Amino acid sequence: MREHETSSAAPIASREKVVSLPHAHLPQGQDHLTWAYQTHVTAIYQYIYSRVGNRPDAEDLTAQVFMKAISGMRNDVSVPELRSWLYRVAQTTLADHWREYYAEGAEELEEDVTRPPAPRENPEAVHRVDALLATLPESYRRVLELRFLRGYSVRETAQELSLSEANVKVLQFRALNRAGRERGRMS
Amino acid sequence: MNDDPEQLDRHVDDLLHDRKPERTPLPDEDALRARQTAAMLRAAKPGAGLPSKEFLARMQGSIGEWVGEQSARPQPAARPSRRSLLLTGAAGIAAGVAAAVGLQRFVPKPVAPGPAQALVEKGAWKPVKALAELPQSTPVAFRSGAIEGFLIRHGDEVKGLSAVCTHMGCILNYSKFRNQFECPCHGATFETTGRPTDQYDTPLPTLPSLQVRIERGQVEVYSV
Repeated sequence: MREHETSSAAPIASREKVVSLPHAHLPQGQDHLTWAYQTHVTAIYQYIYSRVGNRPDAEDLTAQVFMKAISGMRNDVSVPELRSWLYRVAQTTLADHWREYYAEGAEELEEDVTRPPAPRENPEAVHRVDALLATLPESYRRVLELRFLRGYSVRETAQELSLSEANVKVLQFRALNRAGRERGRMS
Repeated sequence: MNDDPEQLDRHVDDLLHDRKPERTPLPDEDALRARQTAAMLRAAKPGAGLPSKEFLARMQGSIGEWVGEQSARPQPAARPSRRSLLLTGAAGIAAGVAAAVGLQRFVPKPVAPGPAQALVEKGAWKPVKALAELPQSTPVAFRSGAIEGFLIRHGDEVKGLSAVCTHMGCILNYSKFRNQFECPCHGATFETTGRPTDQYDTPLPTLPSLQVRIERGQVEVYSV
């Protein structure tokens, strides 16, 4: 068993503090704040991706979030402060994004991020999706699974479900609308 | 301009091909919710939703510039106490490494690899597993309070390693076949000793050890 390593150079070291981390890995010429921001890029990107569902928008919005967050933030913040600030900025940036599609109502669609998601947002997203799909009638669930989770084209989905392509689109339309309302109810 | 199946399918099709959807005005909240739900479903597909290496490289550069510009400006006097920089709750599970970084900004000393830094204070010993349940030499994942880690038994000794990837803070998986820890985010790999095995330009730091003890046959980890 390893003994806790302490260092005379570290003024905060004491016998109470026992979980040790080595010095953080810093690419040359970078300050810690820059590094702290960079460690959040993946999590913020995933957070945004799961709200917009495509790479170009997710990249644009993630860059916007960091630009706004950095210019509006003191540069002597703690990491937990920085983290919740980033998620707050991400929320307002997403609300603005959706407002371009639909002028009203975007605000109330924001989700609760009082507990910011950990960097492994994705498994949680998968879990949320499973819970959502479970609320849907079988045919709705099927069409969404085939299209989104298995990446079937409309034609392949039509073959699989023995429907016309037009019918698949109608089914998908109803399923997404129903799931959207269920989602509003769940959150 | 009612929403219709064709219009919604064009949006879906764009998402499935990772294209930016056309920004058409929507008639009502249902139409908006349908698109937001489509985004959520899209992101749940295995492998979707991770940033590309190119994007991360671009962001790395931009963030450095933005922080540089920001630091050049005069700052308000507020300063967080050192205590507020320590992780004391369950909020910071995977932010552990990042938190230590925030903390280091206030500790003037060289950045060369060296002594360990404290991350958690005022924790407690928490039982995680019975020693008898642990196989020899095979890492077993656990979570206790804010700590996620692996326990590795050698004889009657147990070593604890943090499961937080030292690259970007994702939680590592253990691969039995390759006998190594693997990061689901960007593919970093670590030996079961915690040593990084991959080829980043600048090598990643070793996985931090956790403090572990055995009390009456129970393996306990110091955590918050």
